[in-house]
Amino acid sequence: MGPLTLGGLIAIATVLVLFSGVSVAAGLLIVASLFLIIFDGFGSLELLPEIFFGKLDNFALLSIPMFIIMGAAISSTRAGADLYEALERWLTRVPGGLVVSNLGACALFAAMSGSSPATCAAIGKMGIPEMRKRGYPDTVASGAIAAGGTLGILIPPSVTMIVYGISTETSIGRLFLAGVIPGLLLVGLFMVWSIYSTWRQGGAETALARVKYTWRQKVEVLPRVLPFIAIILGVLYALYGGVATPSETAAVGALMCIIVAVLIYRLYDVRSLWAVLRDSTRESVMILFIIGAAGVFSYMLSNLFVTQAIAESIGGMEVNRWVLMFAINIFLLVAGFFLPPVAVILMAAPILLPIVTSAGFDPYWFAVILTINMEIGLITPPVGLNLYVINGIAPDISLRTILVGSMPFVVCMVLAIVILSIFPGLVTALPDALMGPAR
Amino acid sequence: MAAAPLRMGERRRPLPLRIISVLSILCGVAAALMILAAVLITCQLIFVRFVLNESTIWQTEAVTYLMIAATMLGLPYVQHLKGHVNVDLLPMLLPPSARKGLAATTLILTGLVAAAMTYHGYELFHLAFERNWKSDTVWGVPLWIPYSAIPLGFGLYLLQLGADLFAPDDGPHPISQRAD
Repeated sequence: MGPLTLGGLIAIATVLVLFSGVSVAAGLLIVASLFLIIFDGFGSLELLPEIFFGKLDNFALLSIPMFIIMGAAISSTRAGADLYEALERWLTRVPGGLVVSNLGACALFAAMSGSSPATCAAIGKMGIPEMRKRGYPDTVASGAIAAGGTLGILIPPSVTMIVYGISTETSIGRLFLAGVIPGLLLVGLFMVWSIYSTWRQGGAETALARVKYTWRQKVEVLPRVLPFIAIILGVLYALYGGVATPSETAAVGALMCIIVAVLIYRLYDVRSLWAVLRDSTRESVMILFIIGAAGVFSYMLSNLFVTQAIAESIGGMEVNRWVLMFAINIFLLVAGFFLPPVAVILMAAPILLPIVTSAGFDPYWFAVILTINMEIGLITPPVGLNLYVINGIAPDISLRTILVGSMPFVVCMVLAIVILSIFPGLVTALPDALMGPAR
Repeated sequence: MAAAPLRMGERRRPLPLRIISVLSILCGVAAALMILAAVLITCQLIFVRFVLNESTIWQTEAVTYLMIAATMLGLPYVQHLKGHVNVDLLPMLLPPSARKGLAATTLILTGLVAAAMTYHGYELFHLAFERNWKSDTVWGVPLWIPYSAIPLGFGLYLLQLGADLFAPDDGPHPISQRAD
């Protein structure tokens, strides 16, 4: 059997096993073990623990649990609500202030937590009821938060970007910077659509309504929000100023966030602190398990010459590079519909990156395109995690309404991919300006 | 904290299953403390390197091994919480009886892989211990210490999978999952 046919068989087996309800990490281990036993015998399993261990034996991976603790500490406080309130009070003069504040709060919270569902939950808990109270349609209120939440994996620090950086051996700091302008572009597109949609549905007054706040009301919310923003700025400065590596920076950020949560949000009791630690551990273990298992899966593909055969056959095809990129986008989109972003990146990025770079695309630009595809997967069925988070915090809005509300935001994301394809400089300009051109 | 009071239904469960539950929770506490230790040691590393301007020898390696050990020991705990992310597309399409059969099959397959990892992980640990392998750094830590996490973690994971096979409805309900 040729390596390409074998690759097709492995793909079918992987899809079947992963859809069977087995955990993603265990599924990857099962498929890898099965094919290794069939083609190399039982003896080939001997190496698996060492490969699994070796994949995790990387100081850069430490940034994942650290950034997760940072996010969990912030999410365990009222910081999301405070951030939302602060923006609402300060942006009240901006047309469509409320939805703009919600999306802005999503972007800022995403920057602090790095998690999409946590962003949805933190901002949506206050934002959705308030938008509905002020007359925004349910579709806009729920769709804006579901889509705003997806920014968590694009705007730095992003766990997804860290995983991409590690699996493709690209600079994590540069990846973080590459996500900034596309993140802002998406926020802008989301805002324009939200205001237009509200206005079109007869809510011109709602969309343009302004609530007046006194200076006292504006200032009183700042002391609760500024420390977190200061930590984020500090983390970004340390990363880009070359002061420390992502893991070191994330560890300090995690400790600072816990300290701020204790001092400002009075998170004194052991039970709450344990909850932060427990949730972070659960989440980190889950992601690190997938990373280790994906390492074993990649080893199997490479050992059976499948990776090399796929790269060679795609490299040998004489197709237009944009047709190739279009096909890759469709593949990523479909994979993102079903699989969590971390799993897709770990399985696909190491195979796709050589193909993409040999076709003349920038690896950092590709990271952003890949991430936006994964963002779409977060708000589309059947897995669309953010849809269920919104359904959980606003149970009286049906899943269908949330889905209908989210679809235009999917179009915004596709539009962003098109814009970034026409103007790739939007991705690369910031990292190039701050860190010098990529080597 | 972690040793939360046992739920009413848990009292009626057979002793071995209760022991496995407690072991998994203890593993979770150990994993969480390891991650916390990694945070603190990394902060100490930064203090030593950037404030005291001294070189660091053991910290980078120690926190990496702590993270690996936390991952391995965390496996049974996360399984106990049903917290490993999955895609249950096929089970949703199947009738309840077939769904149960499929769940048992996936648990057994996962158990077989965990058993292989435990067995070969023990071999690796044993080899490192017997031959006194050390890491290729200034610190030169004996490798059997970090390698011991593989058979320990996967072994306990196997136990928890066994418990889930015999009492699939026990333990906490699946939690909301993310893997981004």
